[in-house]
Amino acid sequence: MSTVGIDLPDDSGGDDILAAEFVLGVLPADDHAALERRLDGDAGFARQVAAWQDRLLPLADGFAEGHPSPAVKRDLDIRLFGQAASGPRAGFWESLALWRGLAGIATAAFLFAVALPRLAPDPAADQARLVASLADQASDVHYVAVYDPGHGVVGLSHLSGNPAAGRAFELWVVQAGQAPVSLGVIPAGAAVHLTLDSPLRTLVGTGAQLAISLEPPGGSPTGLPTGAVVAAGDLRGI
Amino acid sequence: MRDAETMPGSSGTDQISSLILRVALRDRQAFDLLYQVTSGKLFGVCLRVLRNRPEAEEAVQDVFVKIWLKADRFSVTGQSPMSWLIAIARNQAIDRLRKRRDAASAIGDAALEVRDPAPGPEARSIATGERHRLDGCISELEDDRAAAVKGAYLDGYSYADLAARHRVPLNTMRTWLRRSLLRLRECLER
Repeated sequence: MSTVGIDLPDDSGGDDILAAEFVLGVLPADDHAALERRLDGDAGFARQVAAWQDRLLPLADGFAEGHPSPAVKRDLDIRLFGQAASGPRAGFWESLALWRGLAGIATAAFLFAVALPRLAPDPAADQARLVASLADQASDVHYVAVYDPGHGVVGLSHLSGNPAAGRAFELWVVQAGQAPVSLGVIPAGAAVHLTLDSPLRTLVGTGAQLAISLEPPGGSPTGLPTGAVVAAGDLRGI
Repeated sequence: MRDAETMPGSSGTDQISSLILRVALRDRQAFDLLYQVTSGKLFGVCLRVLRNRPEAEEAVQDVFVKIWLKADRFSVTGQSPMSWLIAIARNQAIDRLRKRRDAASAIGDAALEVRDPAPGPEARSIATGERHRLDGCISELEDDRAAAVKGAYLDGYSYADLAARHRVPLNTMRTWLRRSLLRLRECLER
């Protein structure tokens, strides 16, 4: 069965224990590679491997979180898609790309803050969060919004684009066939939160759209968007 | 198969699952979100195994290339999503570690040692019930055998590394580890 070059003890345990050794990665490279090839055609062995990965998963708590530099995601996007996540990528734009990367880190921190507590038992807030990516082809404004219905909080992560001088971004919720309703002016910052009043919470749900318009400082004086919509996106469950 | 549905806090698990399924449909937005949510942990895996930041950054990039390319396989395995993701990261990092050792066995390991910080609260991404069960089963093993299992999983030690570290012959180490794994399986099935 094995070509490890180690004499197998009599209680070798068969394929299942070989699957465990494969999962741990303790075998010499050639044996490991042979088992990896076997995974493709042998569904039974693949199941044994998956079961061991699940069994040993709690050990992964021993891996401390790290923070890869923003360049990692940028290079990854270039490698997979031929371009960075948003637009130009060299020379003069280098600093912008870096800045976007840093915003990405803030997003990561933010998403960890909202997503990871969900992985631990948390009987309190059981309503599913919604997420929307707010963008528009005609502008470079890009936000990721996460709505927590349990607390009525919209978290906004700023990825790119800034309001023109003397203007502010205002966030709106739009339900099909109805007038936009303001959720408030978006404070400047990489990761900000807007807490919604109860009447507004009922408007924010799956199928609604979030939109950002350019308004005077302090927000639209009319209660409806007065400036261009620079980014919008549908809310969906993640 | 450990069923994600029965794990506490399965909704976080569900979120990551649906992101992977959307990645399988070539949804770049989902890919970006998946990166944002999981890159810290998967980078942590690479850093622990490789103990070298630039190498770990290259490795985690390879990890996400694999995730993008193989996301359609995820649904087939029926696994919990973190289990699937961490397996990809460990494989990638260990693979790189073995190649590095082959290429530069002259470099003393000590030169590459980096102290890793204790897991922070954000690292507690695994359901507590599952963790306690496995911890309990591992604590039933003799100390040196428990250390060998953890050293293989967390640090990517091979049989040869473990034999050297524990100063036992290779065969003995393999017998130890295999018996320990069988005992863990029995204990978890009790």
